[in-house]
Amino acid sequence: MIKEFFVSLLHYFVDITTAVLIAAAIYLTVSGQQPNSSLLWEILLSGFVTALPSAALLCFDQKSVRKSLLLWVIHFLLIFFITLMLLKMFGWCSITPLSVLLTFVAVICIYFFTCFVHYLVDRKHTALMNQQLKNRYADKEQVPNPKQ
Amino acid sequence: MRIIIETPQPNDEDVVIVRCSTPDPRLISMLLAFQTANTELTGYLDDKIVRLNYQDVYYFEANENRVFAYCHSKVYEVKYKLYELEELYAPLDFVRCSKSLIVNMEKIESLAPLFSGKLEAHLKNGEKIVISRQYVPSLKAKLGIQEVNG
Repeated sequence: MIKEFFVSLLHYFVDITTAVLIAAAIYLTVSGQQPNSSLLWEILLSGFVTALPSAALLCFDQKSVRKSLLLWVIHFLLIFFITLMLLKMFGWCSITPLSVLLTFVAVICIYFFTCFVHYLVDRKHTALMNQQLKNRYADKEQVPNPKQ
Repeated sequence: MRIIIETPQPNDEDVVIVRCSTPDPRLISMLLAFQTANTELTGYLDDKIVRLNYQDVYYFEANENRVFAYCHSKVYEVKYKLYELEELYAPLDFVRCSKSLIVNMEKIESLAPLFSGKLEAHLKNGEKIVISRQYVPSLKAKLGIQEVNG
């Protein structure tokens, strides 16, 4: 369980940080602003701070679909409020209705990016597992019988 | 090491002969576990008591302190705890896939990823069951896939 948590934490950290870097690069290009030297550290810290609840909350194995959805909603809202807090703390932008709305959209984009990357990785692993399953069935169908 | 599987004569019993200079303890413990594994269990359906062969079971599910064996189209209650079945059938092709499920790998037709890191197993009888994230590594190990990053 602890090992799984740290592996998840690392995966979420890498995925979220990559997504935030892409978002920051787009924003800086569009706005024409020069990046501050501390920006990279702030992005790394924001990646870690948002990966922490992701790894912790999504470790819980929910049996019912309703509880699972509730957990995802709680997780999304938590990430959204943490992002708003970080925006204020780092002074990336002032908290206005427009900036809150844009943050909401950005969090949704980063959320989907992370989920999509995880899905692609899982799909690759699943293809390998399906291949192993096929090999098992093939082996069982071709059991050698030297006496025949 | 070569693996040779031969079909015995019609009336001969099945025999496993290990021919090696030094017996590998893992192989011996695996064979002993296989020999002592109870391959039959009692299933209860309404008033009927049925002897079930493990090969007919698709998966075991725990629900409200009761454990059920799901076969092709029938569901039998079994008087075992899920962890007992997990220990009993670990040497065979059964693997834990969530807190409440143990699946017979022989009955998995294919696997598909879900968005939450879980997997969906499509069984040979058309049923679908969900494999939780935390049990995916043990399924991979059972399939002979080694994790690169743990």
